[in-house]
Amino acid sequence: MMELGDWCRKRKWGIMVMLSVLHIVGIFIFIRGFLLTRTELPYYSRCSDVSESPCFTSQSNHYQNQSNPLCWTRPAIDRLIIIVLDALRFDFVAPSTFFKETKPWMDKLQVLQKLASTQGTYARIFKAIADPPTTSLQRLKGLTTGGLPTFIDVGNSFGAPAILEDNLIHQLASNGKQVVMMGDDTVDLHTVDNGCIEHLLPSLYEEDWDVLIAHFLGVDHAGHINGIDSISMVEKLEQYNAILEKVIEKLHSQSGPGGLHENTFLLVMGDHGQTINGDHGGGSAEEVETSIFAMSFKKPPSSIPSEFDTSYCETDLDQKKTCISSIQQLDFAVTVSALLGVPFPFGSIGRVSPELYALGAGTWNLESANVGHWPNQKEEEWMRNYCNVLCINSWQVKRYIDIYSASSVIGFSSEDLLNISNIYAQAEGNSTCSSDNKSLHEDESYNSSLPTLKRKIDTYFNFLLSVAELARSKWTEFNLEMMGIGFGIMLISLSIHFYAIRTAKNAAGIPLPLCADSQISVKLMFAVFIVVIHACSLLSNSYILEEGKVANFLLATTAMFKLHYSIKREKMLMEAIFFLLLITILRFAIEIGLSKQAATSLFMSTHASWMVDIDPDNPMWIYMAEIIPILALILLAYLLYITVTSSSCCGIWKYVISGTILCYILIAVHWASESDTLSSITRLQGIGRNCIPKIIYAVGLGQLLLLAFSHLFHKDRALDSKKHFVSKTVAMLSTCSSTIIILSGKQGSLIALASIAGGYCIMRLGNIEQDINDKVAGILTFDPLSVTQWSLLATCLFFSTGHWCAFDGLRYGAAFIGFDEFILVRQALLLTIDTFGFSHIIPVFGLPFLVADQQLLGQTDQDRRLIIMQLYLMYLMYGLTIVATVVATIICVTIQRRHLMVWGLFAPKFVFDVVGLILADILICLAWLYFVGRGKDGGSGSMPDRHD
Amino acid sequence: MVKDSTAENPGQSVSPTQAILIHLICGVGLAVGFSVAHNVYFINLVSDPSHTLRLIWVIESPFVILLYSFFRQNPEKCSYLKAVIRGVLALPVGALVNALGAIALGAPVGSQYFQRTINWSLLMSLFTFVPPASVFGSSSEDWRRIFANTKPKGSLDYMICLPAHGAVVGAWFGAWPMPLDWERPWQEWPICVTYGAVAGYLVAMVASLVLILIQGGQQHPKSE
Repeated sequence: MMELGDWCRKRKWGIMVMLSVLHIVGIFIFIRGFLLTRTELPYYSRCSDVSESPCFTSQSNHYQNQSNPLCWTRPAIDRLIIIVLDALRFDFVAPSTFFKETKPWMDKLQVLQKLASTQGTYARIFKAIADPPTTSLQRLKGLTTGGLPTFIDVGNSFGAPAILEDNLIHQLASNGKQVVMMGDDTVDLHTVDNGCIEHLLPSLYEEDWDVLIAHFLGVDHAGHINGIDSISMVEKLEQYNAILEKVIEKLHSQSGPGGLHENTFLLVMGDHGQTINGDHGGGSAEEVETSIFAMSFKKPPSSIPSEFDTSYCETDLDQKKTCISSIQQLDFAVTVSALLGVPFPFGSIGRVSPELYALGAGTWNLESANVGHWPNQKEEEWMRNYCNVLCINSWQVKRYIDIYSASSVIGFSSEDLLNISNIYAQAEGNSTCSSDNKSLHEDESYNSSLPTLKRKIDTYFNFLLSVAELARSKWTEFNLEMMGIGFGIMLISLSIHFYAIRTAKNAAGIPLPLCADSQISVKLMFAVFIVVIHACSLLSNSYILEEGKVANFLLATTAMFKLHYSIKREKMLMEAIFFLLLITILRFAIEIGLSKQAATSLFMSTHASWMVDIDPDNPMWIYMAEIIPILALILLAYLLYITVTSSSCCGIWKYVISGTILCYILIAVHWASESDTLSSITRLQGIGRNCIPKIIYAVGLGQLLLLAFSHLFHKDRALDSKKHFVSKTVAMLSTCSSTIIILSGKQGSLIALASIAGGYCIMRLGNIEQDINDKVAGILTFDPLSVTQWSLLATCLFFSTGHWCAFDGLRYGAAFIGFDEFILVRQALLLTIDTFGFSHIIPVFGLPFLVADQQLLGQTDQDRRLIIMQLYLMYLMYGLTIVATVVATIICVTIQRRHLMVWGLFAPKFVFDVVGLILADILICLAWLYFVGRGKDGGSGSMPDRHD
Repeated sequence: MVKDSTAENPGQSVSPTQAILIHLICGVGLAVGFSVAHNVYFINLVSDPSHTLRLIWVIESPFVILLYSFFRQNPEKCSYLKAVIRGVLALPVGALVNALGAIALGAPVGSQYFQRTINWSLLMSLFTFVPPASVFGSSSEDWRRIFANTKPKGSLDYMICLPAHGAVVGAWFGAWPMPLDWERPWQEWPICVTYGAVAGYLVAMVASLVLILIQGGQQHPKSE
């Protein structure tokens, strides 16, 4: 019997570990397919790098003779004005004749349309295609770095929006270009662009800049607030039309020879589009199609060869021909770099766009090309130069791909790399762009070399486009196979979970499937229903946003179900009503948390209406807000004190709990010293701000070690009696609680009280049936609904502590309680404890309370075995509720992977759930070790067997 | 298990025809409420939930209270008037319980929702609390039989128990569309919840009729 029991226990532990490992493996494989990662390289392009390229061998001398020193490419323009209109749809700019229907918001930026149609090659409208996600930050980053955004980028940008990769702005700054940026942070629709407008026009007269960037947010705001089919949007566009008219007029007036804007280039562009409702972020055509209007004030020498002209033309409203070209936003950074003559950003994988590049080519071509008697001479000159630029471009992209594959953990496959290398070798293999020029200086040769140049350019195009395609598939496309395998493993773990629960039930002799008492099966059905409906709710973005409310709704439903039972049994009515009351209080706490989320979220507009009635500046409220948490803390300490004095627990747990009481007092002192009103009374300011938290962490760690050592070396008798069992649980919980409370801030003590009260109610209500079902040993009354409630309560606590499933929902401040300096591992640990403390750590270690109230504890070996079985079942079921939600989340992100909110909402939710699951798995294994042991040093194993 | 001690039901028995009639009249009452709101006051639940709900419960309440008071228990001890008064008193009490339940489940609170919540919970009270109050008074045993044990006996029990549960379950399901981002006016509290409750109430009335007819078909109604 003893060996059998031993073996059983080991097997239980083994199943728990196996489930955890399965979860981790499944999730890891899924993540490999779903969370696209790209490593940001810390390298920067330099002017001198170009000597490594194969492009400048023969022409470098030729260029060095010129007055200005050469970097990578010959500067084509001197000054650049970039006006970014946030969320500029393509159809805001293009003439309405390009579309099937005319909408109210079309043809409002008429100044651009007129210029594009009248001046032909001077100005042109481009359709710019962005890579999703189409959020402003990601797009601005893509525009300046010339790279593709992926989830990890997106994730990083929540915390630190700074662009660390090499980018256009960095290149401008380090190559002596003066950059002036103007933009506004105001959120008011009417004043949003005022700062920009005020500064833009005067700046045009000044000489102290080379690149001027103005970022207008008005269109984006108008879209978010009223949608694009609104009067405010039309007004905004008309306002911009007027501003642009003024800007272009001023530039024109100074664009003569020797003028301030002789070689100035104007770009009016959007960073992304928007839907009819003003949303953006996803990959729909409306969102990714934005526009670039480019204008040079000097006539380019010739039109570019028709082979490279991808434009399509229509007549506009005035019956004039307007041509529109297409450009990838990916190509923007490198094209602008080429125009300004600065090194291309290191990580750019774009291609110098021929049409945009040609627009700026007017300045130097006139000087350098000798008097051309031949019509093709200018064209050839331009082509040769462009070919050279492409040569550098290809070399730079190849260098990036090589270095990326060498330094990144998840690089490209060797097959792809070989393919890329072959294409590059093919492109480089022919003669360089300028070699013909040197050997044959006859006029006739120009004609003959044109086709060669074109072929050359085509090979470069081929290379650059295939690299972009590869990078897109690697960085922006999901690997469905991996996702499928990961999901399959999760399903397998789920079925093992079910199987384990079934076997455990049968082994424990709980006749659940063929239940004599129909009530239990009703409860089981209800519990399953609640878990399933909770999981299904995660398939919709609306329910994810309001998950706190959903969890609260379901918890309240189960509480009402329990109330129903308690009325039926005429028992524990007070507990049931109190539990409902508690849920109502939690509900208000969750709404406060949601209103915080709504303040930062783009997707939410909820706010708790009742909060308007409370004036937060009322001194009474301030005073209450400071005194109540401390009172709650004292109450908690008192509760622990009662436990210590009343229980007959042996030494070590007593000391641990006493240590926590001390911690609580310290926390109270800490809070009192932090607050303004109380510290003046108590004069506690002198105590170091970081001192108390550090002491508390140390004490907590010490307690944990003490418990662990006592568990290892002390003969464990926890399962021998109810009191031992309870005090062991309390010791563990109190050890965790002090750290969690101080990290959670002032709400911590209140939430701790709420979780104790909630746990108590669930425990009591879970045992409603017990006494009626008599005390015959061997019959377990097991209520799956209690476990469901436990996990729902944990979810509610997560949201009521002001967290939500987004990276801005992390309480970063908690990581710095007690520490001023940043050390990644330590601060991440604190942040994890704060985030998952009340929702995972406390519930998992508190779960044994659900069996603690049973009368079965301590009499016989048989009872002990049953208790272990029950604990095992509870942990399995608790794990199952979490796995169910994670599987639902996985299905959800798989279905919604192209949804516009995937990076903003679904992926963060997925990350939170997955981290929560892995943490819960580990905690469950640890808790099992702590409460039961692996068998060798477990309670009953060391006891002599009396039965069987 | 609690054993049901009341072996015999001293209340008036309800024939299937009467049951059909009662349910029909209650249903018609609701319909009248909706149509008066729509055709006389030109409001509906979406445009003016608070007033529409008030109109509906004001019109529905006499139907329910007066009808169910006919079938009061112990008619010889308890006058018709007393039963009516019981029903009237139960209206606000039931409303309070319903409102508290709704708030625990997450119904919005705040001044702009106050009136709506009150009117909605009065309507819910009419579906759930008023009929048993009129019939059983304060007999806790009967109440527990209907609401806690959900073991209705006899046609009257079915007529009270099923529609009440139907309304509550319907309201519960009616709350689910509320958080969705469809931005429809009917997603406001308590419009879709009311729709759910009314739908559940009507479906449960039909179900109770079916059960009564089945029971009527069997000559000996089950005593257990």
